[in-house]
Amino acid sequence: MDWQPLLLSLRVTAVAVVLIFGVGLALAVLLARSRFPGQTLLETVINLPLVLPPSVVGYYLLLALGRGSPLAEGLGVRLLFTWPAAALASASVGLPLMVQAARAAIASVDPALENAARTLGSSEPEVFWRVTFPLARRGILAGLVLSAARALGEFGATLMVAGNIPGRTQTLPLAIYDAVQNRQYAMANQMVLLMTVLAFLSLILVRRLEQTG
Amino acid sequence: MPSTRLVADIEKQLEHFRLALRLEVGTEVLVLFGPSGAGKTTVLNAIAGLMTPDAGEITLDGRPFFRRHRPGPAVNLPARKRRIGYVFQQYALFPHLTALENVAYPLRRRRDGPQQAMALLKKMGIAHLAHRYPHEMSGGQQQRVAIARALAADPQVLLLDEPFSALDTTLRERLQRELRDLQRELELVVLYVTHSLEDAFAVGHRLAVIRQGQVEQMGPVEAVFRRPTNRQVAEIMGIRNLFHARVVERRATGLVLDWDGLRLEAPPQPAGVGEVVTAYIRPEDIKVLYPDRPLRPILRPNQVVGRIVQRQPNSSFQTLRVALANGHQVEIRFPVYAYAPLSLRPGEEVHLSLRKDGLVILHPPPSRRSGSEPSGLESPPTAADRM
Repeated sequence: MDWQPLLLSLRVTAVAVVLIFGVGLALAVLLARSRFPGQTLLETVINLPLVLPPSVVGYYLLLALGRGSPLAEGLGVRLLFTWPAAALASASVGLPLMVQAARAAIASVDPALENAARTLGSSEPEVFWRVTFPLARRGILAGLVLSAARALGEFGATLMVAGNIPGRTQTLPLAIYDAVQNRQYAMANQMVLLMTVLAFLSLILVRRLEQTG
Repeated sequence: MPSTRLVADIEKQLEHFRLALRLEVGTEVLVLFGPSGAGKTTVLNAIAGLMTPDAGEITLDGRPFFRRHRPGPAVNLPARKRRIGYVFQQYALFPHLTALENVAYPLRRRRDGPQQAMALLKKMGIAHLAHRYPHEMSGGQQQRVAIARALAADPQVLLLDEPFSALDTTLRERLQRELRDLQRELELVVLYVTHSLEDAFAVGHRLAVIRQGQVEQMGPVEAVFRRPTNRQVAEIMGIRNLFHARVVERRATGLVLDWDGLRLEAPPQPAGVGEVVTAYIRPEDIKVLYPDRPLRPILRPNQVVGRIVQRQPNSSFQTLRVALANGHQVEIRFPVYAYAPLSLRPGEEVHLSLRKDGLVILHPPPSRRSGSEPSGLESPPTAADRM
């Protein structure tokens, strides 16, 4: 078996998970603890990748990263058809799963506990890291694992923005597609089995996190 | 005695009414008493810095915590900088921390934090529970941890929101005593929110009756209970059997009142002949008389005959509603074991005595006597019927 796609997939997923954790947690706190105009709109936009075809998500990313976009022209960032673009695609698709789970977990923390921490001398970041986060940890982790599994399996959006360049942007799901196209069924079988095991283990982990949490 | 002084003068538009009140508290226990939803907790939150009033000023010994729309620069100190001890209604202990870690939480930047926390747990008599988590402790134990944690940062002000409402009576009495001892020892300014009269009596030096975001009456606990200034206060205090009567005679031994044709003797109280007053008698001060037994002298005055309208048994006491000849009803309460030989069924006639010393006239403060009578007094004299 060619290990290249697996290693690349792990790298892409690791970066995506870091992005999902940071951005997802911030969004979850915002949605769980405050009311602001446009809240429903923001939530809907975050959740769109759950229902949109991945190719559509990929197309939007293409517009955001491609020639003529502020990111490419203004900042000179050229990500298209590199593995970081694949990480971005995976993060966009995994994000809603994280936000939903983390938001529910944070909302379930009794605000009186946060208030207690405030009267005991804690600043807002301290309240979050010492009280809210430890109490919502299991739900947040469950969301993170779920979104990581989703990121690992990303196919459509990745194909649009990162292409399918063996050794450079060909992740495991893309490699499976190629293997099948080329009738390399033995290789496809191995990779499919690997993906299935990883997904299975993730779901078991999520379930355990949610049950004891 | 060094006297600390907390002054809170706050205004806030709430959903159903406007909160507007001013409290001055020294080193004492001031009880905020009133029905739920009267704005008591809001007052505590404003003082702690968890809620921002629309306008007002909160100062501790002249140091401003909050100021808006008042002379002087605007101030709104965040909760963490006010250093106020707050015991929340459901204790609000951190469930992921042990008792010791909870108490050490405000001391986390001090090297001797854990030792200090341990000393506090010892003081509260729960040192042996230091390594238990909140869910492994009883309500009373959790409450002690909550108080220890609130006191850990050595605050001058302690706020308590219905702290003992979930505890049984014996434990409650012990904690009430401990709280008063702590207040004296640490010379704390204590604000204590409750809707239980027993709590108010046991811990309070002074009482502020709060209704719809306003202070209805404030004064020493005994005084407020003995002399509610108006009908709202009396109702909040759980006083039943309010009625309007005319003073028809003043004697050395007391007053004679006319309650729509029923003559009642009352103890001496300031009221002029001819004046229409609001009076009440507590349900416990109306006694049922045995027709075949000699009468105790104390029950001789104010004997009336009535007909039982309703009987409500409860676990520890019974309530009777009795219709009197003057067209009004009174409520009578007595322990379940009392009057066992009498059947006391609805429709039956009973002989009652309204204890003379139990007849209390409500006194509005002088400022309200002329002109602006409290609104409740304008209703027709069917007061007792409506309660």
